[in-house]
Amino acid sequence: MAEFENHEVLVDATQRTYAEGYRKLDAYSPFPVHGLSEALGRRKTRVPLIVLLGGMTGGLGGYFMQWYAMRVDYPFNIGGRPLHSWPAFIPITFELTILCAALSAIIGMLALNRLPEPYHPVFNVPEFRRASLDRFFLCVEATDPKFDLVRTRTFLEGLRPESVKEVTS
Amino acid sequence: MNDDLQSRLNRFRFLALVSGVIGIVLCVVGAFINTQRFFISYLFGYLFWLGLALGCFAVSMIHHLTGGRWGQVTRRFQEAGFMTLPVMALLFVPIFFGLKHLYPWAQPVKVAADTILQHKHAYINPSLFIMRAIFFFIIWIVMAFLLRKWSLQQDKTTDVTPTRRLRTLSGVGIVIYALTVTFAYIDWVMSIEADWYSTMFPVIICIGQILTAYAFSIMVLTYFSKYQPISETVTTTQFHHLGNLLLTFVMFWTYISFGQLLIIWSGNLPHEISWYLHRIAGNWKVIVWFLFLFHFFLPFFSLLFRPTKQHPRTLVKLAAIVFVAHMVDVYWMIAPSFYPTGIHLSWMDFAAPIGVGGIWIAIFIYNLKGPLLIPQNDPRVEYSLAHGK
Repeated sequence: MAEFENHEVLVDATQRTYAEGYRKLDAYSPFPVHGLSEALGRRKTRVPLIVLLGGMTGGLGGYFMQWYAMRVDYPFNIGGRPLHSWPAFIPITFELTILCAALSAIIGMLALNRLPEPYHPVFNVPEFRRASLDRFFLCVEATDPKFDLVRTRTFLEGLRPESVKEVTS
Repeated sequence: MNDDLQSRLNRFRFLALVSGVIGIVLCVVGAFINTQRFFISYLFGYLFWLGLALGCFAVSMIHHLTGGRWGQVTRRFQEAGFMTLPVMALLFVPIFFGLKHLYPWAQPVKVAADTILQHKHAYINPSLFIMRAIFFFIIWIVMAFLLRKWSLQQDKTTDVTPTRRLRTLSGVGIVIYALTVTFAYIDWVMSIEADWYSTMFPVIICIGQILTAYAFSIMVLTYFSKYQPISETVTTTQFHHLGNLLLTFVMFWTYISFGQLLIIWSGNLPHEISWYLHRIAGNWKVIVWFLFLFHFFLPFFSLLFRPTKQHPRTLVKLAAIVFVAHMVDVYWMIAPSFYPTGIHLSWMDFAAPIGVGGIWIAIFIYNLKGPLLIPQNDPRVEYSLAHGK
């Protein structure tokens, strides 16, 4: 794992590491860095799809619930209106769409990030504490096919880091 | 502004002026053939384009208050749009002569038969209607001139006073805009239906105006983005932001339009529901479906996707759809009161919007030439351009 002084060096180093062929990378920074996820080679996430499905489930489910209750299960004449009174169903349909979409966004995001994760080896490096203050880190994981303890360390040292540390698991 | 663009604009302005004059002449002919029909069509055509001018007025004030990258490149278009207001004030004058053709409260026979109209008479009668209209136009024109004046002043100085003034005026101005439009449209549109009222209606009008102004800005910006100097400044970011704003106001329009329907539908009171009954009767239903599809469904779901907003070519198509759909919406707010059984089209329904619109666009282009197309020395511009890439 390499430690960097500022975000520009980090993005630059990430791009070069990715170009070198490393794929199992992760970068850590105290604030969102523009262009970093592209440099890490991250593709589009599946969160939007999950949100869409969640929203549709909520919307259709909400409408069906009302239709079933009002039309099929317990038909009840309210002010002479038709049993299937769609305008009255819209607010609840809308609310449930939003609710389910929002919940599936949060749950989907957590699930795809494999969170919550109580233990992660990067915290074994004492300097890593500064990742939430003023330092920027790039980590190449040992499971990467190109990973080699010596060669990867030499490569990272060539990227103008402040330091290069080995993460013990 | 380069010569190529200049000559294209000149040609455009000429075309607009010619079609404007032809449209107006046809309207005058129509006024002799069928006077009431003329006034209905003219009110529709006029109010659509006035709505665009007022929308530009509101959007430029919104931008003075909020800032944002989208506004730097579109502000001059909005200014050119609201600077049509003095001429729009003149074009309002014909309506003064058609009050008894348009409004039940101006027809003594109807007033005599309707207690509600008699009670309303103290507020809504021909002389007060005219006085209020003049009053609203004076306010709008004075504010428009100040907004334009200070904006152009800022081009010439690095002193921030003009921008400060613009902000202060816009803060008060946006409230004045909402209030004046509310009362103006109660007079001009809501009162067409004798006993009808809805507190949501003026909001629908304001949002519709702002929505049209955004759609219009997107269309003009796309055209200008092919030419200097806009081509150097505009990036995907600005289109993305404008697309988001378009989406926001499409949603807002749908939200309040449905809100009004839900409240009136739930209440189901004779003098409220009649407005909707006139508007869904017979083949007016076709218009309702059209509005649902093109004022909401299609733009809403297309604009949810990011690539739609980032590609000017797709975005401009959606903006054009919203623009046209809103024109139909204005028609649907006015015409069914006179033809409560179904669509009753006349050739004047096309002549009037083309006539007023042609003149509007000619003045719009005239206002664009002259000042720099990108406002200078705005203290926020450097920041927004540096971060807009």
